[in-house]
Amino acid sequence: MSSLTTWWFVGILGVLLAVTLLLIFVAMHSGSKRKGHRSKESPKDAQTLVDQEVEHIFNDAFREELRNRGRLHFEKIIGENAMFLQQDLRLTTSQLNEYMKTEITRKLKEEFTKYEESIMDAKQLAVDSIQKTNTAIDEQRAILGTQLQAQVAEEKKYLVDKFETDMTRVVNHYILESIGNQIDLSDQLGYIIGELEANKKEIIKDISNG
Amino acid sequence: MAKAILTSLITSPSDLRRARRELEALDEFLHQASLRQGGKGAKLPPTSRMLEDLAADSDLNLLKKTDRDRLRKFLTLLIGKAPVIHMSFASEPSSKFLGQLVAWLRENIHPQVVVSVGLQPSIAAGCVVRTANRQFDLSLRQSLDNQTAAFIKNLRGETPS
Repeated sequence: MSSLTTWWFVGILGVLLAVTLLLIFVAMHSGSKRKGHRSKESPKDAQTLVDQEVEHIFNDAFREELRNRGRLHFEKIIGENAMFLQQDLRLTTSQLNEYMKTEITRKLKEEFTKYEESIMDAKQLAVDSIQKTNTAIDEQRAILGTQLQAQVAEEKKYLVDKFETDMTRVVNHYILESIGNQIDLSDQLGYIIGELEANKKEIIKDISNG
Repeated sequence: MAKAILTSLITSPSDLRRARRELEALDEFLHQASLRQGGKGAKLPPTSRMLEDLAADSDLNLLKKTDRDRLRKFLTLLIGKAPVIHMSFASEPSSKFLGQLVAWLRENIHPQVVVSVGLQPSIAAGCVVRTANRQFDLSLRQSLDNQTAAFIKNLRGETPS
């Protein structure tokens, strides 16, 4: 866009230069015509004449007009450039936005993908952990069940044994209470001597040692 | 002295002490009588059958001082050294029962053994024998307790071995 403006500016300058050369050529041509009349004039006078003609062509009004034209053209170029710059800026901004949007979207997608993977990993870990915990709980439950069964069996055996022991104690007590006072001591002599006979050696041994 | 025999009427340590006291009283009386003037009447103190049997079984004459001294020494020795067996019964044993028991003990355990009798109604029947270092529970209660395992087997319907 800026190169196009430069070409415009160069073209305008070329036109101006061509017009200037044309005017110089016309002035000189008219001067040569008058040369016959002024052939006797000195080169210094000719130069002065040329300067005068130039001054006559490029007077202040013409210079002012050229200046105005140049200013207007420059302003136009500036305006166009500003417009082009604005368009470029908008385009660049739009492209930048698009680029940013694309990049952010891509980044977000990547991050979301990573995040999703992390979540999946965490989920897998949690599932594994839960499975391990469930397995451990099942094992513990089985162990506890076994222990409980053993304990129940032990408790049952203890209760049965206690019942049997208590039962024997009750029966013994009943027998002793029932017949204990009914047996005459004289009738027990045989039994007592029999028991003494069974423990005779130990009694003799203890008496000998005592 | 070696021929002195413990009569079956002496069954306990207290019998031994009683016999020695009786013997000492007799000895004192006879000693007093020997010092007394003649012409005065004196009556012998009554002696128990236990002491008489003890002297008779040992071929000793209680009127002789030497025999009395021998018997007293014998009794003193027994009081200090005779083996004592403590026997507890559910009820008070009769003299006959105790005599038979002591006779068996002297024949089978020791010739000078004496028995200290105690009461323990809770044993119901039988006896509990206690020597110097050991105790033998020969009671019905202990017998029943010893048969607890067999009773439980019967309770379970098993055949006791």
